Amino acid sequence: MKIGVLLKQVPATDTQVRIADPSTGIATGDVKWTINPYDEFAVEEGLRLKEAGKATEVVLLTVGGKDVEQRIRDALAMGADRALRLEDPGFEGSDCLGLARILAAAIKAEGISLVLAGKQAIDGDNAQVPAMVAELLGWGHVGSVSKLEVDGAGFKAWRTSGGGSLDVVQGGFPAVLTADKGLNEPRYASLKGIMMAKKKAIDVKGAAALGLDASTVGAGAALVVDSAWTLPPQRPAGRILQGDNAARVKELVSLLRSEAKVI
Amino acid sequence: MSDPFDLCNPTPEHLMLRELVADFTAREVEPQAEAQDRKQELNLPLFRTLGELGLLGITVPEEWGGAGMDATAAVIVHHELSKSDPGFCLAYLAHAMLFVNNFFHCSTDEQRRRYLEPVLSGEQVGCMGMTEPGHGTDVLGMTTTARRAGDRYILNGTKTYITNGPEAQLALVYAKLDGRVTAFVVDRSCPGFSSSQPIHKMGMRASTMSELIFEECEVPVANLLGEEGSGMVHMMRNLELERLTLAAMSLGIADRCLEIMVRHAKERVAFGQPINRFGQIQRYIGDSYAMTEATRALVYKVALAVGPEQNNRLGSDAAKLFAAPVGKQVADHCMQVMGGAGYCTEFPVERLLRDAKLLEIGGGTLESHQKNITKDLTRHFA
Repeated sequence: MKIGVLLKQVPATDTQVRIADPSTGIATGDVKWTINPYDEFAVEEGLRLKEAGKATEVVLLTVGGKDVEQRIRDALAMGADRALRLEDPGFEGSDCLGLARILAAAIKAEGISLVLAGKQAIDGDNAQVPAMVAELLGWGHVGSVSKLEVDGAGFKAWRTSGGGSLDVVQGGFPAVLTADKGLNEPRYASLKGIMMAKKKAIDVKGAAALGLDASTVGAGAALVVDSAWTLPPQRPAGRILQGDNAARVKELVSLLRSEAKVI
Repeated sequence: MSDPFDLCNPTPEHLMLRELVADFTAREVEPQAEAQDRKQELNLPLFRTLGELGLLGITVPEEWGGAGMDATAAVIVHHELSKSDPGFCLAYLAHAMLFVNNFFHCSTDEQRRRYLEPVLSGEQVGCMGMTEPGHGTDVLGMTTTARRAGDRYILNGTKTYITNGPEAQLALVYAKLDGRVTAFVVDRSCPGFSSSQPIHKMGMRASTMSELIFEECEVPVANLLGEEGSGMVHMMRNLELERLTLAAMSLGIADRCLEIMVRHAKERVAFGQPINRFGQIQRYIGDSYAMTEATRALVYKVALAVGPEQNNRLGSDAAKLFAAPVGKQVADHCMQVMGGAGYCTEFPVERLLRDAKLLEIGGGTLESHQKNITKDLTRHFA
């Protein structure tokens, strides 16, 4: 079984995000990039399945330019076998559905039968692409998996559901599963892994190579368009109520009701 | 790559190595540093993790199970580890630079097959014995002797201040054979080899130190490293990498202390304002930054020209001569900016200051660097 892991580069969580231009998005000049943390769980799970003899190859798939290659190398250094970088001028401005179409075409062409991805990327927090990929391929999908068992016949996946209970979902391959925190503890890339990553292949494919109808992806096909980018509003300063306790409690209750509107 | 040249990370692999070690240091080295300093013990499980990560054979070629990386890579590891735990880093240095790197470059294939694997994994700890109770900088005055007796060499003498001495299964030892310095690899199975009780010290307490004692110690002839009398060549070559990586440790200490100092000066309020508004504090911060950056530029510049096939004693001596006082000075500035808090063990600064002092002594005193530099420059301008 060939495993495909969807990889996305995101700003590191300690990056100070600034808006470059309200119409184009964040300033990327001084951003420190990292692999989306949930995607790291997916990479680790793929590697563990391969090490357990349940998969033959772990292939990374990512949509992006040359600037994402360092993140691909990071995951190759963890132990993934090779990578596909999907780049084409026609891919620019794709929304989640466009990205899913690109990835689905590549997954089909690669003969992958299990797709692992993070449950969401921590930049856009859309949590849409993996589910859309499954839908486009007509495969089963389980999101937010925190424990996974795989055997020859299929998989058993645990996911958190409301109220602190767990769903256990059984299914067969092909399938798309997304990783939640708790699924595993991602390994460090060893120094040997880092040196080996240098020699592993990163193939670049565009729309033509994927047999993709260019009119279905890119800015022209996008159903969702970012209209404006702003930072969240500054949190207003807190207020300290004055007077004796009886008066303060009375005022607090009235403010919670009339101003904060939480009771 | 159209990116401008990055002196500290000359290739993408160097950058990945730095990220690996920085991540490992923050997650696993930092949390144990204070306790190990207090216990005065080497954290052996953590040391073995360095083996799993492939860091113990960083300069050993890939075909021998190492990473095949260069002096810059070795500098990166020491630089990053020392931001949290210079004591632990010193144990790494004594093992990976003083034993593994040195051994690899003067051993035969047969010796490598016998000794390399367990030291690359961290299963066995290595150390190096050069300094003696009566001979430090004056290394040629060493009195440890070796004599040939059939298929053995017999070693007699005492080495001291040996980092990793208590834990080491293997030691690379210099002794005089017919008056000429010769290198041997000695293991714990050699009769007559022992180590003393640990020697307690001011800093670098996350690594241990002892004497190595040789009493009619029998070393198989097969454990001679290189030729009889070739020890000085190995010693001098390895000292360059040792001094460079020790300088990188001072840089790590300076980087960490600078960060602590700047954060503290912003948060600490006195006389109604953050203390970073005061010129006295700004002088500590400004001077510390400038000297740290100068150290960074020098250490990484010299690293480009240190290697088994290169000769750069001037550079490595200059790097350590400059870096070691900077590490100590910036740690001291940090403590001064923090006042009482800096002096207390609740913060890592007092530990880093104690650790920083060693780097003005170990691997060559400041005075030995001044001596070497004068000698080399005099020859250069002759």
